[in-house]
Amino acid sequence: MLKIENLTKVYPNGTVALKNVSFEVPDGEFLVVIGLSGSGKSTLLRCINRLIEPTEGKVYWDKTDITAASPTELLHIRQHIGMVFQQFNLVRRSSVMTNVLSGRLGYANPWLSLLNIWPEEEKRRAMQALERVGIPDKAYSRADTLSGGQQQRVGIARALMQEPKFILADEPVASLDPVLSHSILQYLEQLNKEGITVICSLHFLDLVHRYATRVVGLKDGLKVFEGTATEIDRAKFKEIYGEEAQEVRATTV
Amino acid sequence: MNKKHSPVLSGILSTLIPGLGQFYAGLRYRGVAVLLGMLFTSGIVAWYGKPIWYLAPVLIWLWNIWDAICAARQGRTFSVLLPILFGFVAMFGIGLAVVGVDFSKADINRAIAIMRPMFHPDFIQKRAESNQAWVEVMVPCLPGRSVSGINEENGKKVTITPACADIGETLTITASGFWPNTDANLWWEDPSGSVKMIGPGEAAMLVAHTDGSGTLTASFKVPTTATIAVPDVTQSPPHRVYLEQTRLLGGFELSYVGGRVLQGALQTIGMALMATALAILLAIPVSFLAARNLMSGNPFTYAIYFIVRTLLNILRSIEPLIIAIVFVVIVGLGPFAGVLALAVHSVAALAKLYSEVIEGIDPGPIEAIRATGANWVQVVRYAVIPQIVPPFTAFTIYRWDINVRSATIIGFVGGGGIGFLLIELIRINNFRGVGALFITIAVIVMLLDYFSAKIRERLV
Repeated sequence: MLKIENLTKVYPNGTVALKNVSFEVPDGEFLVVIGLSGSGKSTLLRCINRLIEPTEGKVYWDKTDITAASPTELLHIRQHIGMVFQQFNLVRRSSVMTNVLSGRLGYANPWLSLLNIWPEEEKRRAMQALERVGIPDKAYSRADTLSGGQQQRVGIARALMQEPKFILADEPVASLDPVLSHSILQYLEQLNKEGITVICSLHFLDLVHRYATRVVGLKDGLKVFEGTATEIDRAKFKEIYGEEAQEVRATTV
Repeated sequence: MNKKHSPVLSGILSTLIPGLGQFYAGLRYRGVAVLLGMLFTSGIVAWYGKPIWYLAPVLIWLWNIWDAICAARQGRTFSVLLPILFGFVAMFGIGLAVVGVDFSKADINRAIAIMRPMFHPDFIQKRAESNQAWVEVMVPCLPGRSVSGINEENGKKVTITPACADIGETLTITASGFWPNTDANLWWEDPSGSVKMIGPGEAAMLVAHTDGSGTLTASFKVPTTATIAVPDVTQSPPHRVYLEQTRLLGGFELSYVGGRVLQGALQTIGMALMATALAILLAIPVSFLAARNLMSGNPFTYAIYFIVRTLLNILRSIEPLIIAIVFVVIVGLGPFAGVLALAVHSVAALAKLYSEVIEGIDPGPIEAIRATGANWVQVVRYAVIPQIVPPFTAFTIYRWDINVRSATIIGFVGGGGIGFLLIELIRINNFRGVGALFITIAVIVMLLDYFSAKIRERLV
């Protein structure tokens, strides 16, 4: 159970990215955060694992207060939270294998990891992760030689290496074409069915309908909607996306 | 297209003030540009020009009137090619007026005299061994100052008769123990060590041939210039007559100059290596101070960034050759002065390139690795280093490449390396050596260019 209480983020330049946002995420949920670009989705996800320090408010994970964790505790908490990014955020010049193994850094022996020396067991685990996302043959290719869809699969494999309790996915398919979007989201759905909680921000409503078990809508940093995807009617849609918005469908697979 | 503008009025306006017609016709920027161009051209012509140049502003003025009429009549304008052409001619003209072209001192014979040996570079020579002996002789004959006229060593015996003579008198030399049936060169060496020819007309080498038993006999006159370098003939030490046979051993070997050229080349590459290594050591820490994204956090670090950047820019704008002159004064002539000069310049150049790499780093991977629970050192190792090491290496190789080129000329001011040898060879008019040196520099630069480009291609 993840509990977010009155979360507020004000950037040093005065931009208010989040205003008093509160909601709960029970274990095993596929929670989708929707909203326009700049509505605070990315900030929200990053405040959960404190890649961005929230200005006010609390984030509890079961009984642990993430916002109050010491730097060492924070590393330990992050170790169990996988993260997938819109731009994949792979180290482009490193091999796929190194990228996947880097998901294991929190568990690894700090000294050996600095030399990029990994136990056989971890390498096996990395191969298994790559097999799960269907690209074991790319293990020793340079990350930037892969296509966008393949790079995002490496991103998921990296998150899998953390044996995560939940996964934060920040617009994981926004840089991919619609067909690939479904393939990536299906991996996340599969993981969700295996018991990993997923918090994912998305753009396309049809994807939200297809994958979300629950939806949180943000507008200008405020939570304007919370409920199931089917509850988003025209009025709610206009409220979240503004009056001029037209719904665009990603694809119908 | 605007019919309201009168072509006549426009033409008159541009006749009075260039550009005014265009301005009137609605082409304001063009009008201002024409006026500025006209002022600039006239200014230059008035400053540097010869009478004929006054044609240029006149032609531009005429063009401007036509252009203004076209602008008013059609709303479009005549080609700007003409003024651009004039601008180009003016550029060349200014250069010509300042520099001048002077072929009056050119001398084709001088060119040939140095170019011909350069096309026969003194790099390798045929392998040969030599067999040499000498005998002493007194010039002139003085009582109490005599030599035996016989010299025996290593199984060779040389006899000269008489053992003393005056200028122009005939001497006969007999030598035995030499290689049989081989030519031998004979020459005269005065007490100061300078060589005189004793062959026909004192202009060629005297050549004698040994018989089957290795003996030769030759006659010659004491050279007329034998005592020219002797201040007091009554106190003069003996002169010497040398005999030398050479024979080929087959194959080739590096000539003396060729050896020195190779040594110089090696020293040059070594200088570049050492300078680049020193520069890397300093440039890496400095580059972090010169990276805007790391230093713009607060006013204090931003001030450091600004100061470091300014210093680097100043340092980079000073030619290594000039820095070398300073270091030659401080640490003395030699390659070390050159190394220091190259290192100082390279620190500035590399730190700038490195800092741009750091500024261009992708924050995405850093965020991703932080999210896995990695500690600070692990983040640097996995997200920062993989991003900066390949471009750092590429820039470093590129810098080394440049340093080798710079090191070839830094010897001109005493900084060691192949340039030092080049100056020396030019001073003693050894243009065959200069030719060998040019070829070596060209080969080094070409190879370096090729391989450094190849390596950089792989890294980036």
